[in-house]
Amino acid sequence: MKKYDLIIVGGGMTGLRATIEAVKQDLRVAVISKVHPLRSHSVVASGGLNAVLAKKGEELEADTIEKHYQDTMKCGYNASDPEALQTLVGRAPGKIKELEKWGCLFSREKDNNIALRIMGASSFPRTIYSSDKTGHAIMNTLYGQCVRLRQNKPDLLRFYDEWFVQKLLVFNNIVSGVIALEIATGKMEIFSAKAVIWATGGSGRIFGNTSNPLTNSGWGLAVPLYAGASLRDMEFIQFHPTQLSGSQIVISEAARGEGAILLNRKGERFLESYSDSKEKKGLSARDVVSRNIQREILAGRGVDAKYVHLDLRSLGSKKIKKQLPGVRELCKTYAGIDPVRQKIPVTPGQHYTIGGISTNENTQTDIEGFFAAGECACAGVHGTNRMGGNSLMETLVFGEIAAQSAGSYIRQKHNRLPNKTYFENAFTEEKNKLQTLLDNEGMVKPAEIRNKMNKVMDEFVGIYRDGMGLVEAGQVIKELKNTYQNNMSIIGNEIRANFGLIDAIELKGSLDIADIIIQCALKRKESIGVHFRNDFPSAKGRPRYSLVKVRKNKMIIRHMAVRTRKKPITAIFSDLRSQNK
Amino acid sequence: MKEKTYKLSVFRFDPLFDTKQSFKSFNVPRSEAKTVLDALLYIRDHFDGTLAFRASCNQGRCGSCAMHINGEYGLACETPLHPGKTTIRPLAQLPIIKDLMVDMERFWEKYESIKPYLVRHSGEARQSFTNRKEMDSMIDCILCGACFSACMMTGLNPEFHGPAAYVTLNRFLRDERDAIHDQRMELVTGENGVFRCHSMYNCNDACPKNVKPSENILEIKKNIG
Repeated sequence: MKKYDLIIVGGGMTGLRATIEAVKQDLRVAVISKVHPLRSHSVVASGGLNAVLAKKGEELEADTIEKHYQDTMKCGYNASDPEALQTLVGRAPGKIKELEKWGCLFSREKDNNIALRIMGASSFPRTIYSSDKTGHAIMNTLYGQCVRLRQNKPDLLRFYDEWFVQKLLVFNNIVSGVIALEIATGKMEIFSAKAVIWATGGSGRIFGNTSNPLTNSGWGLAVPLYAGASLRDMEFIQFHPTQLSGSQIVISEAARGEGAILLNRKGERFLESYSDSKEKKGLSARDVVSRNIQREILAGRGVDAKYVHLDLRSLGSKKIKKQLPGVRELCKTYAGIDPVRQKIPVTPGQHYTIGGISTNENTQTDIEGFFAAGECACAGVHGTNRMGGNSLMETLVFGEIAAQSAGSYIRQKHNRLPNKTYFENAFTEEKNKLQTLLDNEGMVKPAEIRNKMNKVMDEFVGIYRDGMGLVEAGQVIKELKNTYQNNMSIIGNEIRANFGLIDAIELKGSLDIADIIIQCALKRKESIGVHFRNDFPSAKGRPRYSLVKVRKNKMIIRHMAVRTRKKPITAIFSDLRSQNK
Repeated sequence: MKEKTYKLSVFRFDPLFDTKQSFKSFNVPRSEAKTVLDALLYIRDHFDGTLAFRASCNQGRCGSCAMHINGEYGLACETPLHPGKTTIRPLAQLPIIKDLMVDMERFWEKYESIKPYLVRHSGEARQSFTNRKEMDSMIDCILCGACFSACMMTGLNPEFHGPAAYVTLNRFLRDERDAIHDQRMELVTGENGVFRCHSMYNCNDACPKNVKPSENILEIKKNIG
C-alpha cells in the first residue's frame, strides 16, 4: 500500500495545475494518469482561453469582467451557477499572469502585448492563444513547472504515468484513496490518501462521431458514480459545429474567429437566413451554429448531403500560416486539402461533456475529501451551453482551487482513514472482478458492444432528440449492458500490457454513463442550450439543473432550480476588481 | 465477393515469455481503416486484444503512437495505409515492454534533465514580439520520441540527451527572459553533450512535425563557439 496526503487522478491541464498548487501547499502528492501527462487531450486544445486583460495605459473600460460574466451567462441561457461563474471570470486574469510568469509562449502583438482573438458568443476579443496550438503551449508550461517542483522537492511529488484507476475508495462517505493498475506490468496497488482530486476530462467516446481521444471513454465519470458521487447536467452534450467531415478532428473555432465563413451547397452564407444566427453569423454560440448546420444538411442544402463548407480562403495565406497553422496541417494530413486554396468540409460532432461530477464553486463533491475539477466536473459554470475558450480557463481556475480545497480539508479535518482490512478487502474484490472479466466466456467482443453504443448515441442522442428516439436508445443500451454482463468475452487472458482488457473495463463505464445521459435527456422535457427536443422545442420557466445518483442499482434523477445571485451584480464586480488590482 | 484488405505485418515480442522477436500478419478490411492506427485498433478489437501499442488523440497531436512504419518513423495516426504490405516495428533504442510499446523512461529522463522550464530573472518582463516569433519553429515538438529512436548517438551513448531534449533546450536558450542560460550551457558542453551529435540528420528525417532538431543542435553548438 502506498500512502499519500493527496492523490490527483488525471494529468491533463486540470491535474497539472492542481499538482502545482498542491506541492505549494506542502502536501505529499501522487499524480496518477492513464497516459503520460503530455499525452493528455489538453494538448490538443486549440482556440485559446478567455480572460479580461487590462492593457497598459488603459482602464478596464472596453472589455470588463462583468461582460465576460454576462456573455457566458447569456451563452449558457442563464443557467450558469452564479457563484461558480463569478469565480471563473474573477480569477481568469490572474491565471494568465501566472502562465506569463512561467514562460508560456502565447502569441503576441507587435507592441509585445498578449494577442487576443474573438470566439463565438463573445462581445469582445478576450481569447488568449498560442496560434492554434494553445493547449500544447500551456501543457508544456505546466508540465515544466511540475518537473521543476519534482526536481526541487522530490519527496513531495511523484507521477504514476500509465496507471489505470479501477476504483475510488470511499468509506462512510469519506474518501480514502484509489486502487490502480500499472498498465505495463499488470501490477495492482492500493493508494491510500486523505484527499483525492478527480481530473479525468471528457467522456466523448460514448459517441462515435466525436473529437475526443480514444482515452475519454466515460470511465472517468463512472468510477466516482460507483463510489456514490452525484452527476450533474449529464444531458448537456456539446457538439462542436466544425469537425472535419469523415474524421474525428475539430477545426478550431479560432478559424471563424479569424474570419472564416460557413457555406452551403449553393455557396450561400446560410447562417444569415436563421433568426438566431442572423446577427453574429459564424460567431454565434456553438449550439446555434451546430443546430443550423444540421438543419441546412437536413433541408438538402448540404454538400453531398453530408456536410457544409468552412471557407478560410479570404483570410489569405499569410494569416492562415501565422494564426491557424494547426488547422492547415490537419486539413492537409487528414483530408488532403489546403485551406489556403480549398474549402474545408465540416459537420458538427460531439466535443465537450458539459455535465459531470457535481461540485460546488470550491470543487467539493458530495463525498468528503473528494474534489473534482475540469471537464469531468460540473459546478454549473457553463450553464446549458459552453462558450468557446471558457473550458481551458476552467481547468486552470478550478484545478488550483481543488488543491486549495483539498489542502484545507486535509489540515482541518481529522485523518479518519479506515483500517487495513478495509483496504485489503477492496483490493481483493477488484482483483476478482478483473479475473472474472478475463475468464468470462461469451459470444460477443467488447468492440461490437462499443460500436453499437456509439451508433445509437450518434443517431438518437445527438443535436436533435425526441422522446421516442431516446426511449429506443435506452432500450438498446439496456440490452448492451446485459450482453456485457452475460455474453461477452475479451481476447487474451493476461493483465500485463493488455489494452484490450483496459478497454473492456472502461466499456462498462461507457454504457452506464450512456444510460445516464439518455435518461437525463428523456427527463428534461424542454429545449435549452445544447439539449434540443423536437417534441418539446421551447424552454420551460426558470432554469433548472439535473442531478443524478445511483443507489442500490437504481438511478434517481432530480431537477433543482439554479441558484440566484446573493449580491447585486455591481457589488460582486467591484469586489472582483479590487481583487485583481 | 470477398472484401479487399490491407495487409499488415506487425512486430510481436514479449520479453517475459518470448525468446525471439517475430512478425505476425493481419488482414484488415479496407472499409475499416484509413490510417495505420485505424488498422492497429481494428486488430486489437477483432483479432488480438493483447497487441500492445499506445494511442490517444488520433490526430497527430499527443505523440503517443510514434513507430517505425515501412522503414520510416512516423505517427501511426497520421500515416495512411496503402495497398501492399505495411510492416510495423516499435521505436528503436528503447527497451521493449511488449510488442510496439517501448519503455520511454530514458527519453523522458533526458528531456527533464535539460530543465524544460523557464527560470526568470527577477521581475516580470514580457517577452518581446520578436523573441516570441523566433520560437515559432521550435515549439511544435510533441515529444513523440521518433527522433530519439532514429538517432545513432542515443543508441551508442546512453548519456546523450537526444534531439528532442535539445530542441526544448534551444527554446529556453533563446528565451530572453531566462535567467539560467549559463547553467543550461554547462549541461550540454560535457563529453556526453551536444558535440556528440555528428549531424547525421536522422532526427530531421524522423520528425513527423517537421521540427528540425538538427538545426537546433547546430545552433547550440555555434552558441558554445
